[in-house]
Amino acid sequence: MIIGLEHYLVLGALLFCIGFFIALSKKNAIGVLIGVELMLNAVNLTLIAFSRFGSAEVALSTQVFVVFIIAVAAAEVAVGLALALVVYRNRQTISVDRTTLLKG
Amino acid sequence: MSDFGFHLAFWSLAAMTLGGASMIMISRNLIHAVIWLVMSMLGVAGLYLTLSADFIAVVQVLIYVGAISVLMLFAIMLTPRAERDNSQNMKTGGPAAIVVLLVMISTLWVAIDTDWGAVREAALTEQARLIGESLIKHYILPFEIGAVLLTAALVGAIALARQDDEDAAVHASSLQAELEGDASVDPVDVVDPPIPSDGEAGS
Repeated sequence: MIIGLEHYLVLGALLFCIGFFIALSKKNAIGVLIGVELMLNAVNLTLIAFSRFGSAEVALSTQVFVVFIIAVAAAEVAVGLALALVVYRNRQTISVDRTTLLKG
Repeated sequence: MSDFGFHLAFWSLAAMTLGGASMIMISRNLIHAVIWLVMSMLGVAGLYLTLSADFIAVVQVLIYVGAISVLMLFAIMLTPRAERDNSQNMKTGGPAAIVVLLVMISTLWVAIDTDWGAVREAALTEQARLIGESLIKHYILPFEIGAVLLTAALVGAIALARQDDEDAAVHASSLQAELEGDASVDPVDVVDPPIPSDGEAGS
């Protein structure tokens, strides 16, 4: 059996779903961020797989796209963790269940 | 024989990635979860290598394994009184599982059923040079916007995470008191800035 595009796509889909479940179900805000990071990695893996199994110009632009995604993910996690720190400083908890200030 | 090596690499890296991700789901300790995240990211970096994307693999190791995991460990250690536990939320766990199952079925079905028309050309060589050139020539506007975004995120993160001036003064004075050997300051309280009694004890 030859390892082809479908193997990588299935792997990326499974990784995305695990990350999605972690992001939806974890109690701790940092746990939610970990799930989001897993989802972004799954998308990057899928893009790189398409880059390998596509034509040459597709390959290059896909890799540039992945570089941009990694940069945006780094910005996102920096701001997200700073927000978690501020919430902790004000409420002494970062559990997403107990930060219910906007709940009616 | 090289085919066997490729198979071995793919399946072991896939097991590493998915196993690390599943351990994040299972693990009860948040610090362990970050360590499993590092393992999963390393597996993804290895998979990039099997796809001949060497520059992206190096970037993945530098940024995810190096920087983001350390940032997360810092955030966990700066929130000492928050629960360390990484448990599931029981109320949203059930609906989340249903939604994720639906997403998984649809994405897997699309991934397997579609005819992607995959071609197996020779991999790009000199990827770092090609990516750098197209960043500067073709994608110069997104590149600059990304630079502005990173700067804004950096400044924003510092502005959010830095303490207020009074808090910082309290923290500094209690640290000073501790350095001078003032026994009345509890060293455990010194670690946590927003405790007003520390200021009186320190000054």
